[in-house]
Amino acid sequence: MKLFQTLTISLLVLISSLFVATKAWAFCGFYVAKADANLYNQASQVAIARSGNRTVLTMANDYQGEVKDFAIVVPVPVVLKKEQVEVGSPKAIARLDAFSAPRLVEYFDPDPCAPQVSFERMPLPAAAPQSRRDGAAQRDRNSLGVTIEEKFTVGEYDILILSAKESGGLETWLIENGYKIPQGARDLLRPYIRQKMKFFVAKVNLKEFKQAGYQNLRPIRMTYDSPRFMLPLRLGMVNAKSAQDLLVYVLTPTGQAEVTNYRTVKVPSGNEVPTFVKNEFNAFYKSMFQTSYEREGRNIAFLEYAWDMANCDPCSAEPLSREELKDAGVFWLDQPEVPSPLSSPFRRRPMPTSGVFITRLHVRYTRDKFPEDLMFHATNNRELFQGRYVLRYPFMGEATCSQGKQYVRSLPRRFEQEAQTLAKLTGWNIQDIRNKLPNAQVQSLSWWEQLWLALSGS
Amino acid sequence: MLRDARIYQILFLALFLTLGIGTRDWTLHPRMILTAIATCLTTQAIATWVVGRVRSQESESEGNIQNSKFTWADSPETKIQNSPEPQPPITNSQSLIPNFPSPGSPSPTPCPLSPTGLLSPLITSLGLSLLLRTEHYSTMVLAGSVAILSKFVLRVQDKHLFNPGNIGIVAAVLLTQDAWISPGQWGEESWYALVFLGAGGIVLQRVGRWDTTVAFLGAYGFLEALRNVWLGWTWDVWAHRLMSGSLLLFALFMVTDPRTIPNDRTARLLWAGAIALLTFVLRNVFFIPTAVFWALFVLSPLTLLLDAVWQAPRFEWRRAVKS
Repeated sequence: MKLFQTLTISLLVLISSLFVATKAWAFCGFYVAKADANLYNQASQVAIARSGNRTVLTMANDYQGEVKDFAIVVPVPVVLKKEQVEVGSPKAIARLDAFSAPRLVEYFDPDPCAPQVSFERMPLPAAAPQSRRDGAAQRDRNSLGVTIEEKFTVGEYDILILSAKESGGLETWLIENGYKIPQGARDLLRPYIRQKMKFFVAKVNLKEFKQAGYQNLRPIRMTYDSPRFMLPLRLGMVNAKSAQDLLVYVLTPTGQAEVTNYRTVKVPSGNEVPTFVKNEFNAFYKSMFQTSYEREGRNIAFLEYAWDMANCDPCSAEPLSREELKDAGVFWLDQPEVPSPLSSPFRRRPMPTSGVFITRLHVRYTRDKFPEDLMFHATNNRELFQGRYVLRYPFMGEATCSQGKQYVRSLPRRFEQEAQTLAKLTGWNIQDIRNKLPNAQVQSLSWWEQLWLALSGS
Repeated sequence: MLRDARIYQILFLALFLTLGIGTRDWTLHPRMILTAIATCLTTQAIATWVVGRVRSQESESEGNIQNSKFTWADSPETKIQNSPEPQPPITNSQSLIPNFPSPGSPSPTPCPLSPTGLLSPLITSLGLSLLLRTEHYSTMVLAGSVAILSKFVLRVQDKHLFNPGNIGIVAAVLLTQDAWISPGQWGEESWYALVFLGAGGIVLQRVGRWDTTVAFLGAYGFLEALRNVWLGWTWDVWAHRLMSGSLLLFALFMVTDPRTIPNDRTARLLWAGAIALLTFVLRNVFFIPTAVFWALFVLSPLTLLLDAVWQAPRFEWRRAVKS
């Protein structure tokens, strides 16, 4: 875009940890804690690898209560057998998150009086901790129209696949078996029962959990064939007290995934913001996300990242290796070498493609704005997109040549512009932002120049 | 000046395109729109010229030279009714349709390079730009040419077998690896719904095909309502499904194309109902998010059968001009 970058450092900040920390997990279903644990479910991460009708869904778990209290109920489209459920890799989810996280990029202005210098780029990935926890479920008995279709233990989880004839029966069954059902759940169970969906009920097998010596609950991964490409949100909203955040990493062989029954909107990206944002990136991204979310009407899915897994620019983390992709649920890489049609004649550089395209969608949902479950589809759209914010450090040395003087004179205008951009993106007070700007005489801008900048926007 | 409903349609489609690009998050580049427009207009011009040549040769070979001169206005969508079979009486509702030439009314004198011949391809190209997404110009060229050529090639008794925009979209999605449709692109906001309904209402009132939209939306809404009651969802789920901007745009601007739908009102109602039913099934049983387009594509040829059973005068865009 501009030609003055000399040294470029991409700085990666993992955003998901902002939303994931201190929250419990339950977008797809609800917690049915057996004690009065203080349950919130406000954030969750899901990886969906899908090709054709085959789906591998990994639900990463950030449950924060007592492990023994953990239990979830998730509607699933088909009866799952033991071999279709496994414990997923927490690392794979963390890697997907790291690879696709919104990022800050830094540029340093060159000495305006020095001859043109080549530039290089040094990515500095930063890691973010992943927090997780868990809970437990219960067991069976028949009557009430509830059938235990499958019952098995996988890793630290005891799992039941239930089918039910009517919601009252299912509710009674769950209560009789010691699950604490949130109020209002019964009405929400019915539509899923009528759609012939099954219920995946999981609790923690404490013995297994202790034996294995895990600190946290690991993600659950299920594999199934179904034309339904959806995530059931409604149950998860039963015990939600406020808006919940959901990060979905969709992995497809074709291109971007979209939500079909809500708008998919790109997060603001590519904006130049004041350099102090580097130290406040979390706060910046949170505010910016909230502002965009409000502006768009609170009923949309944000696209935060869309990229071929073969590369990245700048990289917030190395692309996932083949093994890691498999860990994340990608199953089509095993099949005989049929990468994307674009790839074969080319080598890595011109159009590198790994056969896996990642889409990171961030949905903040509430009951009033998201009446329907999320439906997705994979498109052939291979446009690359990333949430990326630019810091441009001014050249602060002495500039004596005429070009240099002109450059110095141009700085206040640029700082003001960046301040305006930041204020617009985050809703922060412009005066507070101006106070943090580097030492260039912002006052040197006349009032009409400031007005013009404010009107013309970033 | 604005007697031709297509001019309204073009204005509204252009408005939606502007609205969409300005207020929605579309990956739509102006060059892609220009490609669609250029393709559709060029294809129309070439195909019209070819058809004209063929016709003039035919008439020459028959020793009849009276129709040898071909013009834009003589293209398939502006060709004036000249049906040899007796027409049934025009019903009340049909007589309201401004563009119907009454049987036996004089044909307007075809004017060489008349701009009216450009209206239909322009509508098709705007429709394609609104609905079809692709990253490659060649895909848009394919969609545009298939759309326009279908009007010349896939026609029976001077009627198009398929809605041009619809077949263009289907061809691009089926034949290439880089086209897609974004059903969620408009969102579900009520003011968009109102804009669509208002604009669509004006066009349909002029064309006289509002019955099709009402039948389609009514039938689809009814089926979705039944499903909602059966499943036990709250009514906001139903409203959310019906408020989809894409669905409304389809119901108001695509399914109503008077040149591809049955002529008789009863037939139209049945036809729209059938599309609604198929859309409902594809969406809720087969979970196809772009169900409406496939439903229209599959059922379009049914028009022939319905026209054979319920006969009525064919629709004409242009008002018959008294000489």
